[in-house]
Amino acid sequence: MKKLGHKMILASAGSGKTYALTNRFVQLLACGAPPERIVALTFTRKAAGEFFDEILNKLARAALDPKEAARIGADIGEPQLETADFLRMLRSMVDAMHRLSLGTLDGFFAKVVRAFPLELGLGGDFEILQEHGVQLERQRVLRQLFARAGGELDEAQVDFIEAFKRATFGAEEKRLATRLDRFIDEHQNAFLDAPDGEAWGNPRRIWPAGSAWLVKTGDTNGATEVLRRWAPGACANEKQQKRWDDFLEALDSWAPGAAMAKPIDYVMVKALEVWAALGEEDVELIIERKKQMVPPEIGAALKVLVREVFRGELTRRLEMTQGIHTVLSGYEAIYHDLVRRAGKLTFADVQRLLMPEAGAPGLSSGGEGEDGRLFVDWRLDAKYDHWLLDEFQDTSHGQWSVLRNLIDEAVQDPEGRRSLFYVGDVKQAIYAWRGGDPRLFREIFDHYNEAAPGTIEEGRLDQSWRSGPAIMATVNRVFGDAAVLARLLPAVAAERWTREWREHVSAKPQLGGQVMWLHGADDEARAALTLKLLSEINPLDRGLSVAVLVQSNDAATWLADYLRREGGLPAVAASDLHVCMDNPLTTAVLALLQAAAHPGDRFAWEHVCMTPLVGLLESGEGLTREVLRQMNEEGFARTVETWLRRLEPVVANDAFSRERARQLTEAAQRFDETGGREVAEFVQFAERHVVRDAETAAVVRVMTVHKSKGLGFDVVVLPDLEGNALSTRRRDGLAVQRTEDRAVEWVLDMPPKLFHEHDEVLAAHVAEAEADAVYEKLCLFYVATTRAKRAMYLITKPVGEKSTSANFPRLLTETLGTAEPGELAHVGDWACDAVFAKGDAEWFEEIPCVDEVVAETDENAGISTIGQIAGVVRYPARTPSGTKAGVVSGAALFGATSAGAASFGTAVHKAFAAVEWGGMTAEGLATWKAAGLGDSVVAEACACLESSGLSGVFAHEPGAEVWRERMFEIVLDGAWITGVFDRVVLNRDATGRVITAAVYDFKTDRVACGGEMEVVARYTGQMTVYRQAAARLAGLPEAHVRCVLVLTALRCAIEVATTGAD
Amino acid sequence: MPSPRLHVLPWSQPLIHAVTAWLARGWAGEGPLDLTGTLVVVPTGQSERRLREALASHAATRNQAVFPPRVVMPAELAMLNAPAVGVATKSELLLAWVQTLLDADFDALREVFPKDPPQRNFAWAARLANEFIRLQATLTENGLRMADVPMRAGENFPEFARWQQLGELEAACEAVLAEHGLYDPQAVKIAFARNPAPPNGISRIIVAGTPDPLPLAVKVLAAYAESGLLVDVLVSGPAEAGEAATLFDGWGRPVPEAWATRSFSPADFAQRVRLCADPAAQADVIVACALGYGTPGGKLDVGVADGEVLPSLENGFARAGVPVFNPEGRPLRGGSLYTLLAALAELVTREPSFASVSALVRCPDVLAWLGGSPATLLAGLDDLHAKHLPATLAAARAKARPGVVANGLEEINRLRALLLVGVFPENVRTVLTEIFKAREFDQARPEDVRAIEAAQTWGGVLIELEVAVTRFPGLAAADVWELALRAFGDSQRFDDKPEGAVELQGWLELLWDDVPHLIVAGMNDGRVPDAVVGDAFLPEGLRERLGLKTNAARFARDAYLLHALEAVRAEGRGRLDLLVGKTSAAGDPLRPSRLLLQCADTDLPGRVAFLFSPAEAARPTPAWMRAWKLKPRTDAKIESLSVTSFRDYLKCPFRFYLKRGLKMEAIDPHKAELDAMDFGTLCHAALEAMGKLNSPVRDCTDANVLRGFLLEELNRAARANYGDYPALPLVVQLESARQRLSKLADVQAQLRADGWVIERTEWALDIVIGGMSVRGKIDRIDRNELTGEVRVIDYKTSDTPVNPVDAHVRGPKRTEDTDTLPEFARFAVGGEDAIWVDLQLPLYLEAVASEYGHAVACGYFNLPKAAGETGVAIWTGYDAEVQASAMRCAEGVVAAVKARRFWPPAELPVDRDEFGVLFPQGAEASVEWPVAEVRA
Ligand code: SF4
Repeated sequence: MKKLGHKMILASAGSGKTYALTNRFVQLLACGAPPERIVALTFTRKAAGEFFDEILNKLARAALDPKEAARIGADIGEPQLETADFLRMLRSMVDAMHRLSLGTLDGFFAKVVRAFPLELGLGGDFEILQEHGVQLERQRVLRQLFARAGGELDEAQVDFIEAFKRATFGAEEKRLATRLDRFIDEHQNAFLDAPDGEAWGNPRRIWPAGSAWLVKTGDTNGATEVLRRWAPGACANEKQQKRWDDFLEALDSWAPGAAMAKPIDYVMVKALEVWAALGEEDVELIIERKKQMVPPEIGAALKVLVREVFRGELTRRLEMTQGIHTVLSGYEAIYHDLVRRAGKLTFADVQRLLMPEAGAPGLSSGGEGEDGRLFVDWRLDAKYDHWLLDEFQDTSHGQWSVLRNLIDEAVQDPEGRRSLFYVGDVKQAIYAWRGGDPRLFREIFDHYNEAAPGTIEEGRLDQSWRSGPAIMATVNRVFGDAAVLARLLPAVAAERWTREWREHVSAKPQLGGQVMWLHGADDEARAALTLKLLSEINPLDRGLSVAVLVQSNDAATWLADYLRREGGLPAVAASDLHVCMDNPLTTAVLALLQAAAHPGDRFAWEHVCMTPLVGLLESGEGLTREVLRQMNEEGFARTVETWLRRLEPVVANDAFSRERARQLTEAAQRFDETGGREVAEFVQFAERHVVRDAETAAVVRVMTVHKSKGLGFDVVVLPDLEGNALSTRRRDGLAVQRTEDRAVEWVLDMPPKLFHEHDEVLAAHVAEAEADAVYEKLCLFYVATTRAKRAMYLITKPVGEKSTSANFPRLLTETLGTAEPGELAHVGDWACDAVFAKGDAEWFEEIPCVDEVVAETDENAGISTIGQIAGVVRYPARTPSGTKAGVVSGAALFGATSAGAASFGTAVHKAFAAVEWGGMTAEGLATWKAAGLGDSVVAEACACLESSGLSGVFAHEPGAEVWRERMFEIVLDGAWITGVFDRVVLNRDATGRVITAAVYDFKTDRVACGGEMEVVARYTGQMTVYRQAAARLAGLPEAHVRCVLVLTALRCAIEVATTGAD
Repeated sequence: MPSPRLHVLPWSQPLIHAVTAWLARGWAGEGPLDLTGTLVVVPTGQSERRLREALASHAATRNQAVFPPRVVMPAELAMLNAPAVGVATKSELLLAWVQTLLDADFDALREVFPKDPPQRNFAWAARLANEFIRLQATLTENGLRMADVPMRAGENFPEFARWQQLGELEAACEAVLAEHGLYDPQAVKIAFARNPAPPNGISRIIVAGTPDPLPLAVKVLAAYAESGLLVDVLVSGPAEAGEAATLFDGWGRPVPEAWATRSFSPADFAQRVRLCADPAAQADVIVACALGYGTPGGKLDVGVADGEVLPSLENGFARAGVPVFNPEGRPLRGGSLYTLLAALAELVTREPSFASVSALVRCPDVLAWLGGSPATLLAGLDDLHAKHLPATLAAARAKARPGVVANGLEEINRLRALLLVGVFPENVRTVLTEIFKAREFDQARPEDVRAIEAAQTWGGVLIELEVAVTRFPGLAAADVWELALRAFGDSQRFDDKPEGAVELQGWLELLWDDVPHLIVAGMNDGRVPDAVVGDAFLPEGLRERLGLKTNAARFARDAYLLHALEAVRAEGRGRLDLLVGKTSAAGDPLRPSRLLLQCADTDLPGRVAFLFSPAEAARPTPAWMRAWKLKPRTDAKIESLSVTSFRDYLKCPFRFYLKRGLKMEAIDPHKAELDAMDFGTLCHAALEAMGKLNSPVRDCTDANVLRGFLLEELNRAARANYGDYPALPLVVQLESARQRLSKLADVQAQLRADGWVIERTEWALDIVIGGMSVRGKIDRIDRNELTGEVRVIDYKTSDTPVNPVDAHVRGPKRTEDTDTLPEFARFAVGGEDAIWVDLQLPLYLEAVASEYGHAVACGYFNLPKAAGETGVAIWTGYDAEVQASAMRCAEGVVAAVKARRFWPPAELPVDRDEFGVLFPQGAEASVEWPVAEVRA
């Protein structure tokens, strides 16, 4: 095939990443690459699905239309391609559909692990745990961890408690389970990245050269004394004096790890300001706005105390960190045993299994690879020649490390027949919190190009096919001003941003639109402005899509509610809807289940009583029995359904509630698949169960910026841009320092600012982390401002004169705020007080309102029936024993005799089936033994054959014919019956015509003497069927068929009379 | 060479009719239709069923009945007449593999196990054993053993050594079986197929409508044909003469080359194929169509190519009230006997957990067996759990007071004892007999019949296991249970077909269905045909080499099936609709089946555009609507108030009513540790003992002695309430209580030294305010023996110290319209507006006034988590005016309660509202409160 180079594409928002990717795919096909040798990976299943659909549609268009063919051919640099070529490619894609590697990274990894379970140390095949499963497993693990096997705590538990105490030092915790849950949420990933304790709270790792703060210096009691004596004489006023007193007193009761008391903080800050000189010479401190001279000996004493605080704090933090590690390893050890080893893995586990850092063998696409590698070509039936990676800025280092070997092989292919192509936008890197590592983008490029310059070609896509000129111009001004960014952002962040920044261009210069920036003092005011804008523009009636983007789910819910309430707009919080909990109907049904399973739950019970359900109930006792029985027998879906159905009349005219009802049933169905049978567990599941609202066009979608990634809307309103977003402080919690290749170097429960900013190592770490966080925030704003196609409205609080916070409104102020709004500040007819405006105020007026879309006719929506058909006749199926009546006692059913009796019965039947005519013979016995019949069976059969009571059953009559174990099929009384005759004897007359028949049915029931009639009653229905069947098969009137029950236990044969009455 | 005779039946006629007619040809209807001596091979159990029914039905037209042929599925062909003796059962085979794996020397098996397995125990071995057994079964399809693979895989087989070692493992397993005188069932089949004995009493064989018999079955059939048995192969196909030879091989198998390129292009393709957003949407379309028939049974059936659609379909039909029948049955794992057995299995663990006991008790049959009122028992158990947090059955038994709950627990323990003694499975039978001793199963009731069948299946499982366990002794009870549960859970339960049912069947069953209108759901890639991509043992490449079923063969089979399904309904004879899902239930994108893309090149772009377009708009979301307003009982009596309830009323009168009137309190069955209230109560117990009149430490000023006393009392209280061996979280919580009390000891010692004497503890107060009795308990009253001052103290164990003023009084919020608050809650201190949020301490003061006068101080004794903050916080600036205002407020509350003014509710953020679940979209809007009550 033709050679195609390797390519890195930096694509700005709206510049057609998908287009570039699909083009690349088509180009590969055009160059002769078999489709199954192309791996194309992205993050979401949805994106993968769309990608595939798009490739096929593109090929289909080009295969149909020569103009399209020419256009696409030109796009991919293969102008010679014709429709026939595209058709061929289309066919090859379709034929190889099941073999394509086109999906998510998670899916790809799972496929690989599934092919190498034993090589990767798994016990065998595995299942992927979904979210609910993970929760359940965690609860199970915690139960195990908490359980005490009688008597004393075991050693691991004692250690665990000790570690827990250490981990929460200074803030002892009275709720272990709750806290532990949080620990696991917050720290599990860090633990799995560095499972051995070496990196955790290890000072040698953090300060390889040692830290001055950890050295014990001087006598603190002495130092305290020195200060105590010095202060009274050295203070200018009472206030100063109080500062020192408070300091010393607070110091006395301060415990490291606890929140820093204000008096200590005050003095420490002062002391650290002059740290170098302190104790060396006279220094001046400003205490209570007055100077205070501190001579060297006092300074030295103060230094001792400050150092002690530092040492205490750092030491405690190190210990806490180690404690956290021990706690997590305690949990993880059990989790590993109980969950992973049992073959239940999360996608994260799957990925970790493949990571070389975690000891996994490298993957190889086969051929002459090194030993010890896993050859994916054989087990996965695939050779991977070409790699296409989408949204590369969100790829984590772990993910990359799994693919690295395979991609290395492609990039270093000596003949250049293989290739790498990756695309993404480092300006949209908003997933660092889940591992996204935008730096990889450049690193990989540099890595290959350093080795062999020009290996990877760099491409840029800066033309937006989404946004109009007004929006692009604004984006350029806000994000392209290097000087402003450098002023507002940490230097590293600003530099990283500016390095990859390129001026954006709109590919649709004719597209009318508007950008405007408005001020609103508070949430309410900004919401009101949003509403005002939307009512002016009236986008929905014009058929325009519209989104309101906010920073949090709560804000989305609130704002959507506001727009609905105040403006009557069809606004939908396009976040996850808790469909089982957001309405009276489903919560009532859940309460009913809870009340049934937990009759003491007064909350649930009263809740039920407040709803129409109360009219459907008889008694609480009955409810418990009914619900538990149904739920155990049929599962939650059916149980829930039963009650919803009873409520149906109440919600007959309420489409919304009926929709929720079906969503609850669906949730129950999902839960049933987990096999759970516990009500409380189901209620929990239902609480967590979320559904994304359908993406119907005609609504105002209110969503978080995160969720809007990848989407575009005609109109975008941004009313929630506040916050200290561009000077993000690192949050409390574990700091994880990584080496160049992202291995965990050290982990530390970071002490507060006062401490970390005075330690070089910690300060460096924090600065770096902060720069990353700020960069990500800037990305978030970039994403927000690049969603609009035509119009974008920014609404922020006015930035105060004195405000120094570096947030987004401020960035706007510094980049846009200087512009004169001029007379353009209109939205349609509405003259508004805009800070900034650009574009056409009347842009939307040219777009006519569309008439109500005519609802699709039902004909189109459904499958029509065939008119006028006679269906096929189907009989209900029965067996003769299906006509059995009577009751079976539980004891009989579950007792040993029952199971034994069944097999005994079968065996005895088998024995009799071997007998044609009566009398015991030696061969007969031998046959029985050979057939494996047990002694008791043989004995019983022999006894029967020899007994006088049964002699008639086996007696040979001349000319008679016998059916043994003979199966029949018959339609009787509209039912199809399948049965087996045990034994039927047919007697013929001289002409050979059958004149009578006797049906013998063997019953091995252990009947006591005198119980016969009961047995007969039980089997009458069955015998009637046999009689009818035999009559039909033998061509006799029923009256000529005798039916005889043979009771082997009693050795008696009882004739069952014909019953007119059943 | 004798070979089968292939008969192509015209596919314009339903296969089942054609086959029936063929079998009955020559039958004049004089006597029974006697097919004794004929062996018919059909593809599935359901097709066997259909054939029998069709024969009966056919005979019935002449008022006759049938002696049916012997009907088998291809896999059974290799077991005809095979001796049952000595063949290992499933359990025995599994246990043999388990033993083999546990004994294996991994160093000698590095090709198979490059890494040591994660754990060498029964669970691991059983899991892997099952995989190996499945693997063997797959190989058997073509008569292969693991050991055959290296030789059969041909040149350049990269996993030669690995399969050699697998062969060694297999041999080791066979050796284990041989020790017990057993054969591997697959090996037996292969051996049989090599030289199959003719089946007893069979004179001819007919292979009917079986497009992919296993290679092994074909081998057997070929041998029979060779031996002179007549073998006829019936296949439905196009009527065109001469085509058959190119379309099918001699065994009626579709020829891949022919079918893979055959175009599937019904005239109205676009009307017959429909894209649906998800399984629910597919179910909707189908159910709607069924309803269009009124009584759809016999007219419409549904093919379920993607099993994921099945639950939605079943629920959809259930909702619509249309009976359905699923011939595949459903696993017993979903039934109640399984749940009961699984819960019983938990009893044999070393220390059964309380959770497993409560699951067991909630099994309806256990509940019935325990007798009495289920509500009383279950509520009692929950109450026991909430109060004493027993982690185990033993702990629960130790804590239960005599009564229903205690009896119940003893009964459960008795079951446990029965399970622990005696021999499996006798002990299990004993226990079940006990539980079910009073239940009668009525054979006339379908649900009882189902229960009987489940019980019989279980009986069968036990018998098989009994033998297996005797052969392979030494298994732990839990392992035996696991085996039993797995075997039972995997068994299928078959429902009776209801009259007039729409049948829901798998893809491979559809060829045998003769219904005129057939809708196939889930026509998606990977479902039809199912495709194997990548495998740990048998990747496609190896399957090809070994002659196992390949993706290409599956594709050909399914292409044939699709054509056949269409052909029989073409030209107005019926209708075939195909549904293609866009996403799975979990939201994974799905692709249309490749079968639907089999068309002429000219049609392909159009097909693709059609099949890969976005699904029809999903159901539009209706706007949020309230199904109903809650109508709480309005008649709950509130005849007295507790001191703490004032806070509730002031926060929200309606929630007050729910809590104090209706006494709404939730139960958390997953509670694993003390809640704030339990924690406080526990600390209080020790503190009360310290302050009692007869307390030895009442006047103690030695912190160490005090500490010793408090900790001793704490331990006593903890033991009394939570037993000797509380669960881990409680251990930690107790530790926390200990720390707090330790610190308190220091403070208390100092207080005593300062002259503070504890006058009273836990003083029950009962005063009358506004004509209503108000009750409470004062933690302690201190008097200073030096100054004579008296103060009322309440202990607080919240994590952060509480300031009494902040706890009782708040200022108005910035945007708050205080006029909406009741007048009595508002007052002014020092000219500033203030609002009462709690009246606890003022009420205490009111209560003690009769005895101590009005010059009494009040405050909190905080025991927060930061030890340094432990201490007494006195309400400073408390004066008669404040007290008077508080009492005005108290009277206001009482008057309001008496007047039953519980409306309107406060609007609280849902996440901070314990009643939030009742109030979607606002509290006031959620409830219908009688207008009269509001006015009053
Ligand atoms: S034993 Fe405990 S939980 Fe049970 S009723 Fe008595 S007090 Fe309540």
